Amino acid sequence: MVRHTKTTRRRLAFTIVAVSIVMTLFVMRLVDIQVVRASALSAESLEKTETGDTILATRGSILASDGSVLAEAVMRYTVQVSPKDAGEFERDVDGTEQTITLDQATNEIGAIVGKAGPEVLALITDALAADKDSLYALIAKNLTLDQLRALKALEIPWTTFSESPSRVYPNGAVAGNIVGFVGEEGEAQAGVELMDDSCLAGENGRTTYEKGSGGLPLPGTTVTQSAKDGGDVVLTIDKDIQWFSQQSLAAQAQAVGASWGIVTVMEVSTGKLLAVAEYPAVDPGNVSATAAEDRGSRAFAAPFEPGSTYKSLTAAALIDQGVVSPNSQVVAPFRYLPSNGADINDSEFHDDMNLTLSGVMVQSSNTGMSQFGEKLDADTRYAYFQKFGQLQKSEVGFPSESGGIMADAADWDNQTTYATMFGQGFSTTAIQGASLYQTIANGGVRMPVQLVEGCKHADGTVTDVPDATGTRVVSADAAKQVSDMLEMVDQESWVAANVDVPGYRVAMKTGTAQQPDGEGGYSSSYLVSMAGFAPAEAPQFVVSVNLADPVKMNSSAAVAPIFRDVTTQVLKSRGVQPSTEPAPNLPLDF
Amino acid sequence: MSGATAALDLAPDRFGRAKPRPERLAPERRHIRAVLPGALAKTRPRPLYAVIVVGAVIAIVSGQLLLSVGLSQGAYQIQQLEGQQVELGRTSAALAEDLDRLASPQYLAVNAQALGMVGNSLPSYLRLSDGAVLGTPTPAAASTSPIFGATLVPNAQTATIPLVGGQNPAAADGASSPDAGTTPVPLQDGLPSPTTR
Repeated sequence: MVRHTKTTRRRLAFTIVAVSIVMTLFVMRLVDIQVVRASALSAESLEKTETGDTILATRGSILASDGSVLAEAVMRYTVQVSPKDAGEFERDVDGTEQTITLDQATNEIGAIVGKAGPEVLALITDALAADKDSLYALIAKNLTLDQLRALKALEIPWTTFSESPSRVYPNGAVAGNIVGFVGEEGEAQAGVELMDDSCLAGENGRTTYEKGSGGLPLPGTTVTQSAKDGGDVVLTIDKDIQWFSQQSLAAQAQAVGASWGIVTVMEVSTGKLLAVAEYPAVDPGNVSATAAEDRGSRAFAAPFEPGSTYKSLTAAALIDQGVVSPNSQVVAPFRYLPSNGADINDSEFHDDMNLTLSGVMVQSSNTGMSQFGEKLDADTRYAYFQKFGQLQKSEVGFPSESGGIMADAADWDNQTTYATMFGQGFSTTAIQGASLYQTIANGGVRMPVQLVEGCKHADGTVTDVPDATGTRVVSADAAKQVSDMLEMVDQESWVAANVDVPGYRVAMKTGTAQQPDGEGGYSSSYLVSMAGFAPAEAPQFVVSVNLADPVKMNSSAAVAPIFRDVTTQVLKSRGVQPSTEPAPNLPLDF
Repeated sequence: MSGATAALDLAPDRFGRAKPRPERLAPERRHIRAVLPGALAKTRPRPLYAVIVVGAVIAIVSGQLLLSVGLSQGAYQIQQLEGQQVELGRTSAALAEDLDRLASPQYLAVNAQALGMVGNSLPSYLRLSDGAVLGTPTPAAASTSPIFGATLVPNAQTATIPLVGGQNPAAADGASSPDAGTTPVPLQDGLPSPTTR
């Protein structure tokens, strides 16, 4: 009995130990699978069973201020064939079976996609030559819906079709330099497309499911994360004014042989850009037709020495500081040699002239302006450049935007101290130039420059609305006095006859700026400008025109027709009433 | 669970302590009796139940069949309608795209010019409040009109769309506008439409 029990106990112990070992092994394995390698294994299993498709989000549109489309996403189609299966097939034509040969089929495809039949056939035979079991050969991409439907109607069994999102620019080069463009794969490359990519780009969605044998989705395993379409960017650009400005600019730029030009139209009360026309213009739908250096926006990215249009800034600063008035007098010689050693000339020889400040503006006398300008120290004038927004990038934040180039007042040499009074010795962008005139026209209050109204989402909400808080730069009285002087320029300067807008009072200033040669001196090329606003008694629109190097007419007369036509068109299209009060009449000389 | 436990279980038996228990249980057991085959045989089978059951089965099976036929019919219809919706959506998008192209200022301007229209750069207004005429009304002439050349502001999207009267937009450039002014091109088939349509 005792012996039996002993054996039983030994067996029992052995069994317990054996079972324990096996259990321990199982538990270890379990922990290894469920805990240690859990994520790797489940990922591997999902990879084998789960599959998914990307749901493409639609990129938002870029709209002009009236809602018309400047850039939009469209669907294009791709046709491909299975070369291995390409061959004769039967087609039902009016109830009778017809045999269509491969040649016939490729000719039919070619006629629709715009290739020769043999060319299509070659794509198939080449694919077969590379791989006799080839199942894929691309025939054509970027097909329209009509082409797709025509191809489908051919009922060729070995053709397949796929969708590929594309982008079109229905208005072509209208605001092309501003709108920008996207690359082959739809990636933003320039302009607003790049600047507001975060608004325009949507978030792709994804649908995932576990697949059974045969690749069919198992019921109840489909998880869909819907795509979030991009928002629409609404610009402040007026499509028609933009087009007219570009039209007028291009015609005149070609007539005078200018290398490039810019027209800027800005709303006085808001600082909104209604047009930023550039020549040469880029058609975002055909980018390669434009030279690489002309594809961006010079208005934002390329600063230049502005010239005499910036005498307005000096005059505004002088009057705001109370040191001169439009009737202050000066004797303007041809050549002025200030005590600091600078050497100032007027553009053409003349005898001494007895001019008022208004007269200096009308005659655009550098020597006269220098004698007024030296009444303010360099730091004060530098502070005005700052307040007028001439030393920093505009609020738009355009890709590659420049904030102009100007040395600190302390670093100005003798010549620069004077040159900055009449728009030389520093560079600004066309946008900064327009903003200067907006400030004067708006009673001395500078509004932030706006190009974008905001990002409009599918649910109607608008986000990213830019700030529109103005800052006072000069007193309303100083702004009015400068405006009156600019009206005198419009009436009395030598180009007055060329800029007359019948029925309206216009204020403007001309500029003919020498351009740096890149070696510290000035080249023989000029940049001619005209900047102003209308109607002068209650300014609504700033128009600023710049033409670089007009070889056939090297003066501001080259830009006069553009300024006149664009101003007229803006006033007309916005229904501005003709002026009824007479223009001021300030004394120009004594 | 072997020898040791068995030995313990057996122990009470040997001393005869647990004996009365089986006696007490015995009478209760007598209530349970085997059902004799004869008891069932006495009840005659009722055909009505069989008919009901078979009928119900047939009804359920055929009902399910009809339901699934109906469902799959509906699924086909849904698929067909969804396909139609996709096609109509594509058509709508393509037409909207065409409309955007036709509304481009370049295309409108060269078309207007081809029809003999000229731009008026000297606007005048009639003020409704007092009937005053603002500005000097002047007839617009081709000579003072800005020339709208299709190539000045290019548009790849409208380059292939014919103008009214079937003109080629490239041919109807600035140079031809004075002729267009004297011989207006008649509007033949309503508004022009893209060649692709």
